[in-house]
Amino acid sequence: MAFFGLDQPQRGARGMFEQPDAFAGLGSNNQEGDQEAIDFDETYAGYGQNLAETGDDFNDDTFGGPSDVPATRESVGRDFDFAGETARVRGTLLEEQTLHHARMPMQQAAQQARPAAKTGYEAYKQPGYVGRLEADASIWGKPMGKKIPAVEQQQQQQQEAGPTGGMGGGRKMMSLEEVEAMMRAQTQSKPTPPAVSETERQSQGLRDMLGVGSAGPMLPQQQEPSKPMQILQRPQQEAQMQQPTSEYQQPTPDFGLRAPQILQRQHSPQPPPSSQGFPQRPPPGQMKFQQPPQMPMGGAPAVQPPHARMPAAGHARGPSYNGPPITQVQQMMQMAPEAREAYLAEEAKRAKRNHKIHVLSKNNGLMTPQDKNFITRIQLQQLLTATGGVDNELGSEQQLAEDFYYQVYAQIRGGPPRSGPGQPLSSFAQTYLFQMGSRYGYGRSRHHPRGGDNHVQRMEQQVARAVEAAKARPKNRHLVVEGSLGKIAFSTSKTPRPLLNLKRAPDSQQQVLQRSAKAAAFDRKRALRDIEVVYAVLMKVEDHERKLPPPPNEESAPEVIEGHMRWRVEMQRLNQELWEGLKVLEPVEPNPTTPHPFIQILSHSKGKKAIPRVFRHLDDQQRLTMLTLIAIHLDQLDVIRNAYPSPDNTTPLPQAVKDSTNLWIMAVEQPLFSYVNDAPFPIILGLLGLVLDRTHVQSNIRTKAGVSFLTMLLSRAELLKQNLPAPQTSQDLPHFNALYARLFDTLEPVLPYIFPASTAVAAADDVHIWAFLATVGVGASPDQQQRLVVGVKDRVMETVAVSRTLPEEMGERMRGEVNLFLKGIGLDVELLG
Amino acid sequence: MLFFSFFKTLVNHQVTIELKNDISIRGTLKSVDQYLNIKLDDITVVEEMKYPHLSSVKNVFIRGSVVRYVHLPAAAVDTPLLEDATRREAAQTGAKAKQG
Repeated sequence: MAFFGLDQPQRGARGMFEQPDAFAGLGSNNQEGDQEAIDFDETYAGYGQNLAETGDDFNDDTFGGPSDVPATRESVGRDFDFAGETARVRGTLLEEQTLHHARMPMQQAAQQARPAAKTGYEAYKQPGYVGRLEADASIWGKPMGKKIPAVEQQQQQQQEAGPTGGMGGGRKMMSLEEVEAMMRAQTQSKPTPPAVSETERQSQGLRDMLGVGSAGPMLPQQQEPSKPMQILQRPQQEAQMQQPTSEYQQPTPDFGLRAPQILQRQHSPQPPPSSQGFPQRPPPGQMKFQQPPQMPMGGAPAVQPPHARMPAAGHARGPSYNGPPITQVQQMMQMAPEAREAYLAEEAKRAKRNHKIHVLSKNNGLMTPQDKNFITRIQLQQLLTATGGVDNELGSEQQLAEDFYYQVYAQIRGGPPRSGPGQPLSSFAQTYLFQMGSRYGYGRSRHHPRGGDNHVQRMEQQVARAVEAAKARPKNRHLVVEGSLGKIAFSTSKTPRPLLNLKRAPDSQQQVLQRSAKAAAFDRKRALRDIEVVYAVLMKVEDHERKLPPPPNEESAPEVIEGHMRWRVEMQRLNQELWEGLKVLEPVEPNPTTPHPFIQILSHSKGKKAIPRVFRHLDDQQRLTMLTLIAIHLDQLDVIRNAYPSPDNTTPLPQAVKDSTNLWIMAVEQPLFSYVNDAPFPIILGLLGLVLDRTHVQSNIRTKAGVSFLTMLLSRAELLKQNLPAPQTSQDLPHFNALYARLFDTLEPVLPYIFPASTAVAAADDVHIWAFLATVGVGASPDQQQRLVVGVKDRVMETVAVSRTLPEEMGERMRGEVNLFLKGIGLDVELLG
Repeated sequence: MLFFSFFKTLVNHQVTIELKNDISIRGTLKSVDQYLNIKLDDITVVEEMKYPHLSSVKNVFIRGSVVRYVHLPAAAVDTPLLEDATRREAAQTGAKAKQG
């Protein structure tokens, strides 16, 4: 007994054996015959003495030698670890089970050859029933197998080709027959319930095995008590104490009430309670671990052939797995060697696959169908939410609006969106459900070939129903309880419960008046509101642009052409709306108290940011109008007004102004520049004229934005002038020359001041000025060039001198910038050296 | 839905979540749902010395309601687009409010 109980205190996780002490419980029926046997010594004395000496042959194997080393867990080995053994061969067991299905006809024949083929509850009365017991007994694994007589050796060797531990069926068969005969004599008179008979059978088998198997392990301990076996000793003693105890206790009726307690406390010795009662009735708790062997028996009708029960047996964990291997061995014996080899190879493959399947299906059956439905509902809910909800048409404007950022971001960044904006929910859901369905189907198909498909169908129907239900849900999100004064608002994640439910009164005339009066007072707010209007329209335009139908051709159907026409009309309308939103066409007042609305829009950074996006959607005329408006109001722009240097020209500009200037150059001037680069000469001249006429050039020129604006116009004008097709006949050239002269005259007095104050530090930021001077220099007459050089000579010399003191790289860069200008007037920085 | 939409784009980016109980957790955002519940992977607690019991935790599920701040990776945020998305959301809400 100690042999079997040994591992119990050491093992926390019991693997698939829910009841590690199952053997003890079965063994308890040893006492059925003689109910008075209580004492441990009495129980075992007889067995120990009756043992044949050969029974010790394998003790050394089992316990790692009699004297060489103190027994440790390693040296003892794990032969007794039945759960572990079984778990290791589990793959094979599973594979055998599968094989069993494949070879059903053969097995049937084999089974019919044996008298044990008869099953049902009556079977236990027949000696031939041993077949069942073999299966159960196989859990004893190697220790038993080692004791099988030589007659059985051949069988075992064959069996050991598979990892299954060998076991001697014949030996047990013999003893079992004897015992069964005895038992039958005892129990003939009373009608035995199936459960009881099952217990009995097991107990008989066990008694046989325990009687032989346990004596071996016990011997070393008893005969050599002085041996240093500390590690082993205590568990063994405990087991010895405990095993007879529990054996004894479990069959007692009053113990039946305390069955749970026993199961919990099997490892601790308990004082034996009184031994009266019906020993053959197992306590309810004990039934639990008897279930695996019972299942095939009780579950099947009496006349059903054994192979029909096998799938059920395959499901039960634990000892009942062992049915197929036995029959397998007999089968294999009948096979030819070649066939056996081929079979084994195939078997190995199957084992692998079945093991995988088993690992995957380890948690099968944990959830009830209700649980699954519940989870499915939650998942569907998430699914509908994740894809924008059922209220909206998929891929529609609304849906895009719900998830705008994600959808567009995914498009822009090219990330893999879980569901693209165009992908309809249904297909997404179907993909999702198909995966789930197949998984369910896989698990089920082993038993119900059609179960999987059925399930997928059910799921699909469920999806359809869920979507329908969600659509049918009343849109009204308020519940008005009859007779009550208020209404209850429901909240969803998309429409949170409104805390205030105010009806907005339609805009009355009075409100409009009030608002406009206030708006005059709050220019800033009005500008911000204007910007938001621009953005709102802009987004509409961009959305509409996204919906551009494919361009029609001659063969297109009329509807397509019509659709395209409608799209263009709509685009036209939106464009007009956008143009009005920009307020470029607001009348320009001669002496305005407040800046022009468009200029105000431009004075906010988000207004500036809107320009490049807006510019794309404007036509040429609109662009020109906008450019003109900017040219007229150049000195009113915040980037020029605020960036005017302080009188002493020493304090650097605030960071905010620098930022907004940079933003201006990036956001506004870029599109303007692209337009100017395509503009014809007259337009450039006109713009230059406007700038000279309407703005304060001397202040423009002292700011970065103003300088770059003028550079933009001038450089384009120079280019056009040089490439003029007919310079002599053109009216534009004298016009330009006049304009240039005016500009130069205006410019000349401020030339020394256009640079930032400090040479050294701020010098890094004057490349735009050199560029401007170069542009001016290119178009200048020799006289003008002379004046230009005089104006900036000091600065040039200073910069070159400074650049020589600087590190090579920086100095090079500074000289390059100066050279930009010097080359414009036909000089070079090297000449200055 | 704006925030949900926004956080979805941050999946697989490093974020730092500051909870209402002052614990800051940095980790890879694995998923987010409509309640802004958050799943983080490979987490580290910013003040590890202060919360040693979290040092062996590798991934967490954070209920959305206990989040105070989410520190975003700036590179992964498209600010103009986010501005636009905000405008849309506002326009939508405005339209709904007008409907009453």
